[in-house]
Amino acid sequence: MRGLHIYILLAVAALALVFADRLSSYWMHVAIIAMFYGILASSWSLLAGYAGLFSLGHMAFASIGGYTSALLVQWYGIPIPVGMVAGVALCCVLGGLIGWVCLRMTGPYLAIFTLGFSEIVRIIFATEDDITAGMAGLHVERLFSTTSRLPYFYVAFALLVVSLLLMGVIVRSRWGLFLRAIREDEQAASASGVAVARFRILAFAIASGFAALAGSFYGHYIGILTPSIGGLDFMAVLVVMTVIGGMERLPTAVGGAFVVEFLLEVLRGYGQWRLPLFGIILLLTMRFARNGLLTPLWLRFVQLGEPRAVAATALRDVPQKDPAQ
Amino acid sequence: MTWDYIFVQVANGAVIGIIYALIAVGVTLIFSILKIVNFAHGDLYMLGGYCAYYFIALLGAPPLLAMLLSMATLFALAIVLERLLLTPLYSDATERKDEYGLIITFGLAFFLRNIAVIIFGPYPLKPPSFIPGVQHIGEMTVTNDRLFAGGVGIVLILALLYFMHRTIWGQALDAVSQSRESAAIVGINSRRFNSVAFGIGAALAAAAGALIAPIFSLAPDMGVLPNIHAFVIVILGGMGSVLGSIFAGILLGEAENLFTAFFPDPTRALAYTNAFGLLILMVVLIVRPQGFFGRRHLRME
Amino acid sequence: MSAAAELIRGVSLVKRFGGIVANDTVEFSVVEGDLVGLIGPNGSGKSTLINMLTGHLPPDGGEVVVRGHEMRGQAAHLYAAMGVARTFQLTQLFGRMTVLENLLVPGLTRPGSTWRSVVQQARSTLDFLKLTHLEQLHAKNLSGGQQKLLELGRCMMLEPAILFLDEPFAGVHPHLRDQLITRIQELHEAGRTFVVVDHDMESILRLSKRLVVMARGRKIADGPPADVREDQAVLAAYAGS
Repeated sequence: MRGLHIYILLAVAALALVFADRLSSYWMHVAIIAMFYGILASSWSLLAGYAGLFSLGHMAFASIGGYTSALLVQWYGIPIPVGMVAGVALCCVLGGLIGWVCLRMTGPYLAIFTLGFSEIVRIIFATEDDITAGMAGLHVERLFSTTSRLPYFYVAFALLVVSLLLMGVIVRSRWGLFLRAIREDEQAASASGVAVARFRILAFAIASGFAALAGSFYGHYIGILTPSIGGLDFMAVLVVMTVIGGMERLPTAVGGAFVVEFLLEVLRGYGQWRLPLFGIILLLTMRFARNGLLTPLWLRFVQLGEPRAVAATALRDVPQKDPAQ
Repeated sequence: MTWDYIFVQVANGAVIGIIYALIAVGVTLIFSILKIVNFAHGDLYMLGGYCAYYFIALLGAPPLLAMLLSMATLFALAIVLERLLLTPLYSDATERKDEYGLIITFGLAFFLRNIAVIIFGPYPLKPPSFIPGVQHIGEMTVTNDRLFAGGVGIVLILALLYFMHRTIWGQALDAVSQSRESAAIVGINSRRFNSVAFGIGAALAAAAGALIAPIFSLAPDMGVLPNIHAFVIVILGGMGSVLGSIFAGILLGEAENLFTAFFPDPTRALAYTNAFGLLILMVVLIVRPQGFFGRRHLRME
Repeated sequence: MSAAAELIRGVSLVKRFGGIVANDTVEFSVVEGDLVGLIGPNGSGKSTLINMLTGHLPPDGGEVVVRGHEMRGQAAHLYAAMGVARTFQLTQLFGRMTVLENLLVPGLTRPGSTWRSVVQQARSTLDFLKLTHLEQLHAKNLSGGQQKLLELGRCMMLEPAILFLDEPFAGVHPHLRDQLITRIQELHEAGRTFVVVDHDMESILRLSKRLVVMARGRKIADGPPADVREDQAVLAAYAGS
């Protein structure tokens, strides 16, 4: 049966929705946070994995989106979804702007630049405390007045699914092909007629928009925002998730987010030791399995139900002897 | 605001600038030999500071000796880290070395920062002064520790220059930075020099950490901003140019201290001073998107 | 040069790198149906010239005119859209994309192209280059010669008016080189215009109808190969440097 993996995913999703109310409040919270990270990891993978733009400013956009929505709702009393849309729109524009400014930067320079940007954003949010309440934390109006987490679960689920569908369409379209071409070789891409500048800006704008979506949802779910969400440690956790899963595919990035968030909770008893532990896992993954730990599993999973011969040919990611040589 | 206050800020800026330069020189050295931008450099600086602190607190070592011991410790630790993590950079089988170096050093920084929280605790520590007391120069007052830090910083940079120019090891490093292949042809084992370069860079960072500790305090995240500052300096001052690094370091130290002095709202001045340094970085990168890193060989001048 | 339409013209092109003048007021024009060989010693400015003509390097002086359009300040992808295709001195493929995907990229940048038609075109291009059996392989896993062929194929997918090939024979196995020459000749007979840069005199002379010689950033000869070979300035440039 072709496309078996899609039916399996649909079935799992349906089960998750139907049985969500059986989850304890605690594990539901974990699932919601995992989905929040899922949106961030997949959008960062779009930027860093597909387009090769290794931005360290992704969490800064999440925080900008979160604060924008929270403050607009607080000041003008607009409905929360409108505030979230405003946050997303602002970050699309800002992201595009950052993408435009760093058009000529590659690799480590882009990383340094976006790192600088993200620290500036964090410092501003922490310092302008008469507006943002600084490190004390800004109280954010919650999306629902109920104390139950179930509605948040459904919203997070819907946001993740919609984000993944949208990004999935993008990476499977010619845009996705162009982004990968830019990652591989910008000069060759432009010689092939790819409008490199336009697509780099677009990648930044789209990814930043999704980051803002995640960030604004987070604020309206948790009910409090601190500048540290845009800090280096959150960014590092995001890198850990995406790289461990596999940064060059959306599903593996989301999988990485789920696995790491789950482990973070399971290992809660180890407290502070979790972060260095994930640091080590990240280093080991880079050192010995650069494509990510979930990538081979995902490739197998996609092959489920396909005839053996087809599966064998599509799996070969390895160099092969060419008969002509 | 009096002129004295400004003079003190200028003097402080110069000292901080020299410390920045000390960190930046290591970044330069590592970049020119290993061809990676070390995102974990600030965390080696942090470890250096803590090492010196514990040599003083636990072994009762005099501060200067503690600094030297800390340099030696970080030199050794850096070589171990380099052997464990960075060897794929020298293999032809490794693709996208930029990306590898970036993620691996970024991950290393994350690891070191968080393990430091556990080992050293999250609260700031302050080691004893190298030389207690202050100096009065005219109307201004500068602490001995700052003078000492500036002085030792300069001595270390001069020692590095001597090492690069006047010793066979330094010459060999220079050769490796210019062409790995040619160096191999004349019998230089470049793999060993990768370790040496990473070790020296780390040792210089450790010295900076030990020198700064009595002035500011030690904290696990103290390396984040100096790391970015080191990038600014290297990009501003010219890759591989030690004089350029010193110059750019002092320039940045001065710019920041004067920014603090003149910022209208004193309660926010300190926070925005850091943002100001970052803004300089961003502007420099916009003007020179490849930085001076683009020049891929080391010329210690 | 008479009735044939002019495809590309470089007018007084100047490029300096630091103190070195890589191109010193070079005039260069190609008409439709030409097959130009561009030769010269190392560092004579051939690649610089090609980079300027294809939009990858902004000239310090002079201008590039593509099919009557002045191209000042235009990005490289617009040159490609105008029918100017090129290969690179060191092959630049999309390494971690499949051979087929490498061809889809330029095909899909053409306005109004559909996946179905582009895939079809890519498959027939692979057929023509005899690379069909490698379709699903990552480009980085091809041999040097196959990579050169694929890069040529990537140019063809743009359906270009003119192709610049920068050292297409460098480091290519002789067997594949002959195949490459045959492909270029076939394409030329089908109406494509070429500018070929190479050190391999034998191949260049076999191919080209017109020979341009550069030395020290200047064009020193331009004409039918037979005439250029007798040119004293050319002989001096090659013997002297």
